[in-house]
Amino acid sequence: MLSHTTTRDWLIPYADGMLAADERRRIDGHISGCAACAAELREVRELNLLLVTLPPAPPVAFAPFWLNLQAVLPQRRVLRIPSFPNYRRLGLALAAATVAMLLAAGSALAAPSALPDNPLYPIKQLEEGIKLTFTAANDRLTLQLQLASERLREARAMANDHKPLLAVNSLRAFRVTIDDSAAALKNPANPQAAKAAVLALRVELAAVEQANVARGDDDADVKQLVLAATDELDRIEGSEAVTTQPPVVVGEQATPQPTPQPTPKPKSSDSDNKKTSGDH
Amino acid sequence: MAKVQDAPSLEEDAEERRLIDRSAAGDQEAFRQLVLRYHRLVINVAFRALGELALAEDVAQDVFIKVYKALPAYRHDKPFKHWLHRVAANAVTDALRRRRPIVSLDGMEQPPASRDADPQDIATRHDLQRAVRHAIASLPSHYRDTIALQAFGELSYDEIAKTLDIPLGTVMSRLNGAKKLLRERLGSIAHPEEEANTA
Repeated sequence: MLSHTTTRDWLIPYADGMLAADERRRIDGHISGCAACAAELREVRELNLLLVTLPPAPPVAFAPFWLNLQAVLPQRRVLRIPSFPNYRRLGLALAAATVAMLLAAGSALAAPSALPDNPLYPIKQLEEGIKLTFTAANDRLTLQLQLASERLREARAMANDHKPLLAVNSLRAFRVTIDDSAAALKNPANPQAAKAAVLALRVELAAVEQANVARGDDDADVKQLVLAATDELDRIEGSEAVTTQPPVVVGEQATPQPTPQPTPKPKSSDSDNKKTSGDH
Repeated sequence: MAKVQDAPSLEEDAEERRLIDRSAAGDQEAFRQLVLRYHRLVINVAFRALGELALAEDVAQDVFIKVYKALPAYRHDKPFKHWLHRVAANAVTDALRRRRPIVSLDGMEQPPASRDADPQDIATRHDLQRAVRHAIASLPSHYRDTIALQAFGELSYDEIAKTLDIPLGTVMSRLNGAKKLLRERLGSIAHPEEEANTA
């Protein structure tokens, strides 16, 4: 027979259904012969009832919620210029123009090789984004593979310098770039070149992991992201074997893909809402 | 105890990771997809804690802003949903504590009651719910954070353990302590007839 003290200590997990069968039986045995503990159990259950009957929210439309949220989301990679009194603006504009010219000249030389721990790195990202935007569709895959390779170079350098957070960021950016280029990679205009590029990326991924391991206190996230990125390349190459059709080759130039494959989109709002509604 | 949905499939998990990575890199469309997946969950947690829809939406927005800012440092070593629950629980308990002095039923927005419901019963229930929220807000932080996940987030013991990164036994002992304190603090409100009988 359990004591009052033990029974009372166990009443809450008992009421929450968290006790094993034999423990429940022992509590049942005590409660059946103890009015005080039975009364206390009733109180515990009343409290549980109060907690679980807090009402859920009424339906909320997503669009206005998102618009309000988007309006206050911090803009990454955007420099904000504070407002100044009018009489200072001209002087500031001139100073800013001079600084911008100096920066542009300096950054044009230094930014392309800047690593994530370099103050010029945001300029490098900006330049890459602009370049990608204005690159013709036929040449985009080549540029994306170059950028993916650059991300791995950065990740390796950061792992070597024992800066795992920055290495993780570069590996994530690598995955985003590969994800963007997945459709083109599955059906490339030049399969051999694409295969060679993917092979080179695999070698670079292995080098990142080596740099990570060489530190002795290797970072688990770097390791995990390298594995995930390798899996991603496997998936792309695996599906290529199934879906690739030889492109028509005219002379030495392969024809560009007539219909570029869009990046797979997440599920529609309806399906998402259905899934989300299962949360509650 | 209501259960949250089962763990996502591997495919969903990969899709979610992709959305997280893209959001961390500043892709707002990817973040919109993440918010679409989880806004109901976060608003529900906030509403259950605060009882007022406009305030719950404000807190939910704060939660997603915190998430967006913290995503670059998020590590995939625990499910995103558990991490989100933790951020949401912290935000709602903070909001609840800030709001404690304000006690008014006027601002409370409740789901429509059935036509047959007695207005007196509805008012009593609302009073009880408000008392429960404030009692939770008054708990010591380790109790408050744990029971908030159960009462507002509707998480099971196991999910609370994973969300807070603590052993299951610690969850049991914290919920035990939290509920004992809640019973003490709510005793006279939850059982007014017993109070009257003993008086």
